[in-house]
Amino acid sequence: MLDTIFFYVFALLTIGGAIATITRRSAMHSALSLIVSLLGVAGLYLLQKAEFLFAVQIVLYIGGIMVLFLFVIMLVNLDQAAKERQFNRQWLLGLVASVLVGAQMVWMLNSAGVLSLPAAVPAPAATGPGNIEALADLLFREYLLPFEVASLLLLVAIVGSVMMAKKTS
Amino acid sequence: MSPLSLALWTPLACLFVLLALPSSQKTAIKLWANISAVLGLLTMLPLITGYDRSNGGFQFVERAEWIPSLGIQYYIGIDGISLLLMVLTAVTAVVATLSSWEAIQDRLKQYYAMLLLLQVGMLGVFASLDFILFYVFWELVLVPMYFLIGVWGGPRKLYAAIKFFLYTLAGSVLMLLGILTLYSQHWTQFGTPTFEIDALLRLTMPFWMQQWVFWALFIGFAIKVPMFPFHTWLPDAHTEAPTAGSVILAAVLLKMGTYGFLRFSLPLLPQASMDRTIVQVVVGLSLIGILYGALVCLMQQDWKRLVAYSSVSHLGFCTLGIFSLNPNGIAGSVIQQLNHGISTGMLFLIVGVVYERRHTREISEYGGLAHRMPLFATVFAFAVLSSAGLPLLNGFVGEFTILQGAFEANRWWAAMAVPGVVIGAAYLLWLYQRTTLGQITNAKNNHLADLSWRELAVFAPFILWAFSIGLYPKPYFEIIERPVARIVERVRPGYYQDRPPSPALAQAPHAAPHTAQGGAR
Amino acid sequence: MLVNFTPPSASEYIRVLPEILLTVGGTILMIAEGLAGERHRRGLAPMALAFLLLALGGAVVAGMDPGPAFNNMLTVDGYATFFRLLVLIVGILSVLISGSYLTRENADSADYYALILFSLCGQSILASANELIMVFIGLEISSIATYVLAGFLRNDKRNNEAAIKYFLLGSFATAFLLYGVGWIYGVTGTTNLQEIHRFLTSSESVYSPLLVSACAAMMFVGFAFKVSAAPFQGWAPDVYQGAPAPVSAFMTAAPKAAAFAVFLRVYSIAFSGLTERWQPILWVSAMATMVIGNFAALRQDNIKRMLAYSSVAHAGYVMVAVVAHSEAGVAAAMFYLASYAFMNLGAFAIVTHYVGKGERYVGIDDMAGYARQQPLIAALFTWFLLSLIGVPLTGGFFGKFYVFKSAIDSNLIWLTVLGLLNSAVAAYYYLRIIVVMYFHEPTNETGAAGPVPAGVRLALIGSAIGVFVLGVMPSAVLEFANRSAMLSR
Repeated sequence: MLDTIFFYVFALLTIGGAIATITRRSAMHSALSLIVSLLGVAGLYLLQKAEFLFAVQIVLYIGGIMVLFLFVIMLVNLDQAAKERQFNRQWLLGLVASVLVGAQMVWMLNSAGVLSLPAAVPAPAATGPGNIEALADLLFREYLLPFEVASLLLLVAIVGSVMMAKKTS
Repeated sequence: MSPLSLALWTPLACLFVLLALPSSQKTAIKLWANISAVLGLLTMLPLITGYDRSNGGFQFVERAEWIPSLGIQYYIGIDGISLLLMVLTAVTAVVATLSSWEAIQDRLKQYYAMLLLLQVGMLGVFASLDFILFYVFWELVLVPMYFLIGVWGGPRKLYAAIKFFLYTLAGSVLMLLGILTLYSQHWTQFGTPTFEIDALLRLTMPFWMQQWVFWALFIGFAIKVPMFPFHTWLPDAHTEAPTAGSVILAAVLLKMGTYGFLRFSLPLLPQASMDRTIVQVVVGLSLIGILYGALVCLMQQDWKRLVAYSSVSHLGFCTLGIFSLNPNGIAGSVIQQLNHGISTGMLFLIVGVVYERRHTREISEYGGLAHRMPLFATVFAFAVLSSAGLPLLNGFVGEFTILQGAFEANRWWAAMAVPGVVIGAAYLLWLYQRTTLGQITNAKNNHLADLSWRELAVFAPFILWAFSIGLYPKPYFEIIERPVARIVERVRPGYYQDRPPSPALAQAPHAAPHTAQGGAR
Repeated sequence: MLVNFTPPSASEYIRVLPEILLTVGGTILMIAEGLAGERHRRGLAPMALAFLLLALGGAVVAGMDPGPAFNNMLTVDGYATFFRLLVLIVGILSVLISGSYLTRENADSADYYALILFSLCGQSILASANELIMVFIGLEISSIATYVLAGFLRNDKRNNEAAIKYFLLGSFATAFLLYGVGWIYGVTGTTNLQEIHRFLTSSESVYSPLLVSACAAMMFVGFAFKVSAAPFQGWAPDVYQGAPAPVSAFMTAAPKAAAFAVFLRVYSIAFSGLTERWQPILWVSAMATMVIGNFAALRQDNIKRMLAYSSVAHAGYVMVAVVAHSEAGVAAAMFYLASYAFMNLGAFAIVTHYVGKGERYVGIDDMAGYARQQPLIAALFTWFLLSLIGVPLTGGFFGKFYVFKSAIDSNLIWLTVLGLLNSAVAAYYYLRIIVVMYFHEPTNETGAAGPVPAGVRLALIGSAIGVFVLGVMPSAVLEFANRSAMLSR
């Protein structure tokens, strides 16, 4: 019962935060709303007994990435940008499209019986090696290659952003 | 290397030599191009002498793997029909090359390279026994012709060149669809990939599928022929092409379509080709083509366009003959294809001669040319009479045999085609009268030079050939007798059982000259 | 658990040799630039070429010992080797045409070559990926590198537009793909392609086919975007037009080929049990891609934009082979992509040279009379264009031939008819360039008629030979494709 209540609270935070992120005019407000949304997700992880993900979510996303976001927003004068012409005029079309796709997804999930599952079955309490250990096992054994290759992905992203930021000669 | 491969690849070898010549050496290029054309003709000799008339199958067969996994082979061979058309190609190449000596001054090397490439393509079309090889050569013809029209053509050359290319390409992609269906059927029925004609003959296909394939191939071939209503590219392409291009287009390229019917449509799809509806539609289109082409000719103001439309009419006879589906009709059609090549080739050369002198094709600009150009008038007369089907000349033999065949199939067909012959004579003679007879009305025509020796030499092969066919067509009928019989036997099994063993074919060559003499008297 | 751990064997490392070489190469390039300084920038392209050739060798070596690698994350089979070689060859040709272009635009930099190498590394992973996580990572590496490359000339507005458009839409499409992967994991409990196939075809497993189709559909969004198939082709013309010409050349060939590789692998392994559900959708997509690409290209006056639409159209032809859903179809797609890579790179190589500094001469009319100025180059361009049309004796012909043959074999008669008619329509816009080059007189204001740089010349020769070999002697490549088309389930 309590689980269910928490689930809805976190879900509300996630969705509400996300909506606020894209509707606020001020970049600062958007960023703060995003933090709320990410917090909600972290809460959902915790409900699923994924403590590691929960911690990573908070430390990395909220602690690291979002703080960087805020730095950037405060350093760059974004108020200027807010006054410029916006390209998101087709919000009505976008809304219709998202509602349609959303409805389709709900219909498909429903057909699979996913939606009518007994609500919030508590995840079985971890036995044996803990959550983090299991994750490490997977990452460094089975998923060794993707784990390593992901570093190349980061390298490419860094090269790209450095190039973008470099002063033009 | 078999004589056939030699004949096929000599032009290509000559092309490489040509490319090695420096562009500045104009005379050397011209000389070499003419030598190449003559060489090409010489390579036909072993084929002509070595051809066995008593054998209806393919001769000089050569086979090599090309793409084994798809079953595509380099598989060539000829029967009498292809032999005649190949010889026609080689002769036309000589004529076309020589006729360009003065007409073409710009980008000589590329021009002759295109002619040689065209020759390879045309010979390949007639020699291929593998459907994909055939298709490759068929498409290969398209590119040099496109450039010939587009670079060296008349005022509206761009439009004409693109129209020619797109029309033919649209047809040939549908043809490719037909080819792929046949291939796929062979794969399902026999489990081996192949495109060779002999193997595809073994197919047993349901009638509806034969029908589909027939129409797919039909559109490809009909555009090339061109049959009404697919003919609209032809007047433009013919009119705008340089003289040599028009000659080749008329003499050989159009025959690729009719040849396609004979080599592929009929033998591979006998039931569909026999089908009443299909035959009626095709014959109907042929008859419309004959009459429509002839009528349009009567109204043309443009000399070259008139000759172009006359092709529509004459080729209508050829398809009529083919779809009469009897030995006379088909044999007559083959002979008529040859004749059309000769006589229309000559007519285009005639236009080329006056165009070089006056740079206009308006019929009304001319008149009374005979006064200044007696030789020209004589040659022109030959061309006109040969094209109009005057007995003793070649045109008569073909048309007469086709009408015989059509009559045998359905007398109404013959009755409806006859006006085509009459109108044909009318528009040609009228053209002759307007341009060559009478008084010189246009002062610009007062100082035209008559034919030079070179120009006479250009006409010579065609004139001689026209006479020889007209006077003694027997050898030609003999060459194609067996192959034609094979096609008829394939489409209408048992056709020969109801008739004397050596059927109308044997009579045709005798009948024709006989009547010819009767007519002359 | 720990006891059972076996470290990856040596042969497994060899199977990822091209990826290793590419990563190392890209890194060395960036370091070398810093060490050598400004003056030695000319040496960057040859160095990148050297690494690419090494990687090419690595791919051959890796292909000689086929098998899975790293817990079945990758599988190096003939199919993977084919695509690895293909993208690496495209990389080599692209680098060849980039050198003079970058010098002309004053943008020589190791980053450019490093990004090409990294992008190729991602594509090489895609070619061999056997696991949806690897698919995602490979796709992202390849894409992020190309996003940056598309906007490489940062002072150019069109470059910026191309990059941002590609980046935003691309991320969105990849998100769909990732979501699809998530769902499929939810349904089957695995991301390994064979295991997904096993789960979906096993009689014991319980799942909703509708839900799986939704996964297939979401992944289709991602793949279709990357291969520029309708209805997700909208970005292609803007990006290919806006990006630097050599980058457009690269993007239309390599990432597209790799995306098709993984598209085919995922659909013919994981979703092969659901053919009747996705086939109709792909049928429509293939048809629409061909029609949109060809008919839009008819109206273009900008040569890059025209080639961009043509690239969409060609993706449509490959889609036909995908719809065929057979081994012959897979082989046909492989062959087609190879021949397309050569003819398209050849065409783009000429455009790269022709457009001149700042890409000034991008109008088709700017090529007026090119045949008189540069007869040989014009002849080569004609050769590539004829191949794009699909005239016999060029690689393009056998590509189309093979694609439509596989479609006929799978009874896709109408799609074949539409495709063939489309290829006839396409002839018009390719012919337009030939018309302008040969039949129009040169004007004063024409593009760079100067000598062709050595790199471009090499690339042209390479592409021309490629088109020739695939058009006249396709047997070897065809048989390799045929042998490799059997994807193990």
